Amino acid sequence: MSSHEEKPPAASGSVPSPRLRLPVLASAPPPESASQGGARKVWRSIEDKARSSAASLLGEFPPGASELDGVNRRSFIQLLGGTLALAGASGCRKPPEKIVPYVRRPAEVTPGNPLHFATAYALEGYATGLLATSYEGRPTKIEGNPQHPDSLGGAGTFDQSLVLGLYDEDRAKQIRHKGQPVAWITLQATLLDLVKNAPDGGSRIRFLSGPTTSPLVAELRQAIATKLPKAKFTSFSAVADDGAFEGTQLLFGRPLESRYDLAAASVMLSLDADILGSGPGYLKHARQFAARREPGATMNRLYVAEPVYTITGTMADHRKRVRAGDIPALLFAVVSELATRPGFGDLAKLASLAGAAGADKVDRKWAAAVARDLEKNKGKGLVVAGRRQPGYVHAVVAALNFALDNVGKTVSFAEPSLLDPVQGPAPLAKLAEDIAAGQVDVLVMTGYNPVYGAPADLNLGQLIARVPTSIYLGLYEDETASASKTFIPAAHVLESWADARGTDGVITLTQPLIAPLWGGLSETELLAAFLGDSHLGSHGLLKRSWSSKGKLLPGGAGGPFDFESTWEKWLADGFVAGSATEPASGLAVNHDALSASVAQAVSKAPRTEGLEIAFAPDPKVFDGRFANNPWLQELPDPITKATWDNAAYVSQATATALGFETGDVAVLEVRGRTVEAPVMIVPGHANDAITLNLGYGRTSLESIARGIGANAGAVRSSDAFWFERGVKASKSTRSHTFALTQDHWSMSPDGRDIPPPAVTGTLKEIEDHHSAFNEELEGRRGVPTTIQQPWDYSKEQYKWGMAIDLNKCTGCNACVMACQSENNIPVVGKEQVIHGREMHWIRIDRYFSGEVDEAEIVNQPLGCVHCETAPCDYVCPVNATVHSDEGLNEMAYNRCIGTRYCSNNCPYKVRRFNFLDYHPAVPAASQLGMNPDVTVRSRGVMEKCTYCVQRIERTRINTRIEKRAIKDGELQTACEQTCPSEAIVFGSLNDPSSRVSKAHNDERRYDLLHEVGTRPRTAYLVRVRNLNPELA
Amino acid sequence: MSSLFRPKHNTLARVSLAIGAAGAVGTLGALMGYARSPYARHMQDPIEQPLQFDHRHHTRDEGIDCRYCHSTVDKSPHAGIPQTQLCLNCHSQVWNKSPLLEPVRQSFFENKPMEWRQVNRVPDFVYFNHAIHVNKGVGCVTCHGRVDQMAAVEKANTLTMGWCLECHRNPGPNLRPVEEVTNMEWQPEGDPVETGRVLAERNEVHTRVSCTTCHR
Repeated sequence: MSSHEEKPPAASGSVPSPRLRLPVLASAPPPESASQGGARKVWRSIEDKARSSAASLLGEFPPGASELDGVNRRSFIQLLGGTLALAGASGCRKPPEKIVPYVRRPAEVTPGNPLHFATAYALEGYATGLLATSYEGRPTKIEGNPQHPDSLGGAGTFDQSLVLGLYDEDRAKQIRHKGQPVAWITLQATLLDLVKNAPDGGSRIRFLSGPTTSPLVAELRQAIATKLPKAKFTSFSAVADDGAFEGTQLLFGRPLESRYDLAAASVMLSLDADILGSGPGYLKHARQFAARREPGATMNRLYVAEPVYTITGTMADHRKRVRAGDIPALLFAVVSELATRPGFGDLAKLASLAGAAGADKVDRKWAAAVARDLEKNKGKGLVVAGRRQPGYVHAVVAALNFALDNVGKTVSFAEPSLLDPVQGPAPLAKLAEDIAAGQVDVLVMTGYNPVYGAPADLNLGQLIARVPTSIYLGLYEDETASASKTFIPAAHVLESWADARGTDGVITLTQPLIAPLWGGLSETELLAAFLGDSHLGSHGLLKRSWSSKGKLLPGGAGGPFDFESTWEKWLADGFVAGSATEPASGLAVNHDALSASVAQAVSKAPRTEGLEIAFAPDPKVFDGRFANNPWLQELPDPITKATWDNAAYVSQATATALGFETGDVAVLEVRGRTVEAPVMIVPGHANDAITLNLGYGRTSLESIARGIGANAGAVRSSDAFWFERGVKASKSTRSHTFALTQDHWSMSPDGRDIPPPAVTGTLKEIEDHHSAFNEELEGRRGVPTTIQQPWDYSKEQYKWGMAIDLNKCTGCNACVMACQSENNIPVVGKEQVIHGREMHWIRIDRYFSGEVDEAEIVNQPLGCVHCETAPCDYVCPVNATVHSDEGLNEMAYNRCIGTRYCSNNCPYKVRRFNFLDYHPAVPAASQLGMNPDVTVRSRGVMEKCTYCVQRIERTRINTRIEKRAIKDGELQTACEQTCPSEAIVFGSLNDPSSRVSKAHNDERRYDLLHEVGTRPRTAYLVRVRNLNPELA
Repeated sequence: MSSLFRPKHNTLARVSLAIGAAGAVGTLGALMGYARSPYARHMQDPIEQPLQFDHRHHTRDEGIDCRYCHSTVDKSPHAGIPQTQLCLNCHSQVWNKSPLLEPVRQSFFENKPMEWRQVNRVPDFVYFNHAIHVNKGVGCVTCHGRVDQMAAVEKANTLTMGWCLECHRNPGPNLRPVEEVTNMEWQPEGDPVETGRVLAERNEVHTRVSCTTCHR
């Protein structure tokens, strides 16, 4: 092609288009201005990025959204006629409803007023402090416990989903032994016989648990060990963080747990570690991280290197997409740069391994800049490696933290709280070996679903079938249950007593909210049965344990120990104050020994090239344990916005190279084992790599989990637990439809240009008050010009408003889950999501900017913004949506006739319509978990965020009875309460000292779609990137 | 051939038109009247309960305060129907062999709750809160009528939204000193309008009429 042909085809051959272009923000050319911040164009999906501005994307109600499935208008009217005829037949007087009072009302219960109980949930062994709301004995909502010293008051999606999991009708309900129902009392006798008749000190008895830090379990294990001294205890987790413990083992000669203090960290380098989004302590990390995001001198900086976007990656100031297997190379590049700096001579030996580790193949400039930044912030920096990385990487990272003087400041090491720190493939492979050798007669499994979670090469399911006595305690009739001879339904977290430690070692108590609905047993009750103690129940066991141990704890020492009152205090708090454990001291790095063992590990590390597959815990179902929870299944993935699915994530470049498009089904072959997984192109993914999330492709009897997604475990090997190279990916003939919400609820459904909804600026731009960025931002706030006389709300007692700080929001979905639970929001199912009918009142718009494979992300939670001059109000023909005296945009469901005009006219697209009656599908048990303070909406009714008006009114009533005003912070919306990073604040704008007023007056504040003149009550604070000048 | 319609048919047409119009208006009026009738509102319709509980006896003869049984009325949205145990506070000693009280003893000893039939019902989308009304000086009798004169309790007011709003727009006439809320016979002394104004101020009454005050 010759050069002149590349000029634009000038039809007239003369002057360029004479038409003047209006200076519309979004039509500014994006790539050049990318670093200019405000004008940077954002997009939601690759299709969205590719579309021309005139082309229409998915409308507000995408094709099919308004159709009744399989029913056209005519047959609908026929149906309607029939329904009316039937309705006429039953038009008699309604029988009076029943009121059923207590026979004996518990003293603490006031019918109609909820109670809050401190409890806890230990997902990976470590406890998160929670508060459970209970109405007349029915738990309805889980929130974070603000007093808990370790989790600090946030609650994640998994914690909050417990309420729905509790009432799941699919939960196992019957103890069975060799296919026959059996009573617990009978089984207890069998278990005692097992102990009595065990030959050789129980050497043929094995216990396989999940990760646990429980002091009670530790005590029971010891007691069992006195009876069966040769019985072995093992833990297994499909998402084990073994690398961290192997690393400290390598470094200090014993496994130690790493604890991070992000509040003290100014510069952070995360190497494939999702410290803000998953894993032990992420709630604390997110809060500490966000607290240091205020622009200014103390603002922190985060570097992230990872293969696929994680929540932590979205928060990065600089992100590098690196395959999991190339992370060591990047780490060594950082080490070798640092080793050249004065004062880092210790690192020279490690740096000499850089060549062997392949450090030349990575972006040395990036690594060097990071290294210099870490050096500049000596003692205030932090390097973290993730669970996918092998032990030697963790060891080098720890050595780096020592060299940077960070240990004792931002990172510390402590004796592990986990009873079995190493709980990944190695101990499980040993167990499998023993079973195969016929050395195991009794296998007691109390951890989550080891058969499903085990790597495919272990064939654990077949092996377990060979064990003469296999006992499994599980919530569901899952894969392990069907392989086991004896199955015992487990009690849910909210049904049993337990204890666990937080990530700082604080002892946290789990108290039940309800008696077991279907007679489940707790892990401690099962273990106690081996001692003949299970009649005590989990409560009795826990109290017995702490009444003797409690004296040793702070508060118990000195003076007479009144256990009962101390116990009551612990339960009320939810934890034992002051029981955190101290970090280990006197640790030092032996560089000679370290570099020798690292050199060995580096030389042994696989050098294979080719396509890499990496595994990850899923943000929705984790390792599969939440797969039967519809709330979680329908929660859009924080990055891909996919619901009800997992997928093989690839970069655009890799997809092109392999000939894949989103929706193609790939056959992935690893060492002869295959799995079919639909492909999805994900911006920001590393090239030549595939990421497949765990937890899907279930074959159990769980009705919701079964048959969704692809089972990553099928191609997982015990010697390549987290990633592996040499994957063969071929295209199958099938294709797959994803239920993606990323293009739903577009704020420009007709394709018109709107200013970027989510705004990102750099720290420099924000701090320079005269920057073009700030001038542009100035135009996106303040009183809009309007012909209407705005209502004056300043005389009201309260003027409710909200502010969301995009600089703190990690996009973790906790708010979406809190809203769903608080407001009785239905789950609609995959097909309905495809039709654009998902009902979440608050959605998190995840915006990309830049080129597909190097895209940056900013998250924007968006519920109803409660416009003061709301476009929805004018168009409602029946006044179903109106404004309150305090400016709330209210929705009166019983007035709504379902015209959907309000939603059409809503510029933010935050209204949700009940196309079908989604609630009759809710099983009777789950109805117990509904919030009685919120109307359950029926078909044909519009709904939307109410700013949790039920909480406003309850608090208002309580304070008015006390004849006082509502204090700032006393009233929290569900999303605000749960937010781990405190990105959302709510309160009265008429109180100048309230947090929300301050946020509204912040210089980073802007209004979404300000130019429409809606005067929204929810304001946004721009995202700030603290760029390293060397890399900017 | 004579024409099909004669002049007299004009009159007939007019009369039938008038009758038709009157019929339409009348039907509409009748329906509206019906909707407002005590029958359609389920008023003046004593509800038979599983147990012949007589409020007249308990409140008048025995002088028991409403809040002895409806004990959560000043702290919860629900006034509270007494637990079976509460009945037995007295009836374990008094009338403890009465066959009339057999359902109460049965409930207590079998740990099976009594099933009372609801008399005053608002729809599910209405979140009425007893506590705030009672604490601001709205008497029981204002909404529930003279329960102390009812053999079987019946609905005394329409409980329509219009009826609620009447008071929420002008609460004065329905206010009383907070300590008199359970008094069935309290009457304002002096000028009722002035008394209402003073009480509204003293009790810090701020009624609201926004939708979400009741509908959430």
